Amino acid sequence: MVRPPAFEELDHTADLALLIRGATLPELFVNAARAMFAQMTDQEPGQPAVKRRVRVTGIDVESLLVAWLNELLFLSETKREVYSGFQIHSLSARELRATVKGGPSAELDLLIKSATFHNLTVEAGPEGFQATVVLDV
Amino acid sequence: MVTMSTFRRVDECVWEIPREHQADMRVPARIFASEPLLEAALGDKSVEQLINTACLPGVVRYALAMPDIHQGYGPPIGGVVAMSLKDGVLSPGAVGYDINCGVRLVRSSLAADQVRPLMADLVDAIYSRVPSGVGRGGDISLSRKEMDDLLERGSAWAVARGYGTQEDLQHTEENGQMEAARPSAVSRKAKERGTDQLGTLGAGNHFIELGEVKEVYDADVAGAFGLFPGQLVVWVHSGSRGLGHQVCDDYVQSLQSAVQKYSIKLPDRELVCAPFYSDEGQQYLAAMAGAANFAWANRQVLMVRVQRVLRELLAPRFGRFDLALVYDIAHNIAKVEEHVVDGKPMRVVVHRKGATRSLGPGRPELPEAYRAAGQPVLVPGDMGTGSYVLVGTSAAADKSFSSTCHGAGRVMSRHAVKRQVRGEDVQRSLELKGIFVRGPWKGLAEEAPDAYKDIDSVVDVVDRAGLARRVARVVPMGVIKG
Repeated sequence: MVRPPAFEELDHTADLALLIRGATLPELFVNAARAMFAQMTDQEPGQPAVKRRVRVTGIDVESLLVAWLNELLFLSETKREVYSGFQIHSLSARELRATVKGGPSAELDLLIKSATFHNLTVEAGPEGFQATVVLDV
Repeated sequence: MVTMSTFRRVDECVWEIPREHQADMRVPARIFASEPLLEAALGDKSVEQLINTACLPGVVRYALAMPDIHQGYGPPIGGVVAMSLKDGVLSPGAVGYDINCGVRLVRSSLAADQVRPLMADLVDAIYSRVPSGVGRGGDISLSRKEMDDLLERGSAWAVARGYGTQEDLQHTEENGQMEAARPSAVSRKAKERGTDQLGTLGAGNHFIELGEVKEVYDADVAGAFGLFPGQLVVWVHSGSRGLGHQVCDDYVQSLQSAVQKYSIKLPDRELVCAPFYSDEGQQYLAAMAGAANFAWANRQVLMVRVQRVLRELLAPRFGRFDLALVYDIAHNIAKVEEHVVDGKPMRVVVHRKGATRSLGPGRPELPEAYRAAGQPVLVPGDMGTGSYVLVGTSAAADKSFSSTCHGAGRVMSRHAVKRQVRGEDVQRSLELKGIFVRGPWKGLAEEAPDAYKDIDSVVDVVDRAGLARRVARVVPMGVIKG
């Protein structure tokens, strides 16, 4: 059986809408990060040169997903890095701890301003988890 | 589901959805549009988003949308919504992530024909000398103290450091400085993001454009603005960069718990808000104003950078020439203004997200040179078609909380347009029309002219609706994108 893709782009007039899938919630969060960086650069990830610790909080799993993506955007922009390795250490309804690995970014293809709460969904189904998130570009 | 029959046509270009359409609407929703533009608006979720803004606490008179309406997140792009201060809310989503994204127009004393043969060189020089700031910083790095100072003072900070003149401040909305700004309300993360972004263009629909005044519709007002047919002019379109994005993100996150605290029911989480006079509301206002000031300082520095490049390349050939700021406007912002509600003056907070302030003649907010004419309204179009200069009207005060459109408005998603065009082809087809474009290929594809509505029809609506009047049309000669 062919598994559906981990992420895909949806139509949205002015911004970037993504559909993310994951067998588990941590995998969903990892795929969301991969999806976002896939939009930002075609750069092939080399050997990771840096590791960064990430901790974000939220009031529910949806806000946690937005906080996770936005923390990665913050790090990417301020450190001038892109990330390709994501390890989730703990994920509850209100807190996520992770380590991300990556390296210096070359010129980015796309500047993402932020992940938004618009049309934000995180749902569990028989095949695993699915999320939609709109990124402001 | 909204269809054409949901609307009541109240005027030639004004369509209303009555409050009774949906139980939680507090006021009617109105769209300024022609019939074709209204039908186009029904092609995405923008009208539903407009209806959602009519549900916000304290909203007064109408939730409005301009003819360049398209789907955003929270309110539609092109949305204008005003809340009473007493029982209304402030919503970061109704301002947007690019706080004070806006545009400025610079006039020159040169004719476009004089510089046309040099356009490729001019565009290349600006592209290489004005940093986009995408993936790397600019060349101005701010200390913490400088950042705090800049967040308070906006354009004045830049002028004090040799970027431009006092006259530039008078020709900027709010004189380039919102007094509500407090650096302490802007997070450490936002300041860190903005540290080396001053004087950078950004990406997406940000651009610098060299254009020609192709047509003048009102010679008197054009003269007051210093515009003449065949003139070389320069547009700079940019915003508050990562600092503004972070401010919006910070407050959209932190206000998620405020809506529970204040028992506010939201149709869309991106419309998260807090009562205007709450601590949370006042903190956001102070941070938003700081980010707005950063954007004004940014456009001030960008403009001066472009001016320096043009002088350096053109002065040897043409000698001394004028390059002066016509005006600078914001189109993502929230401002406390006085408007008439139920026949009485009332202070309200007007949220404009993809909409421009439009003040008529006689307003004290305007510099003396423009007081008789009205406020310049700057409406950039897409790369291939052109832009407009309009003038504000007194009528806009009652019709739209002194607001008008901001641009052409998108019709096609970035995803869809990238499937149809390639950046290289966009560049080539524009060059065939005599328009030189420099920018990253993917960005050029996403900003292809086909992705945008027809600016002529958008401007036609605001002119017929009395929100702003046509003064001049400008066509692009050279475009630089981040």
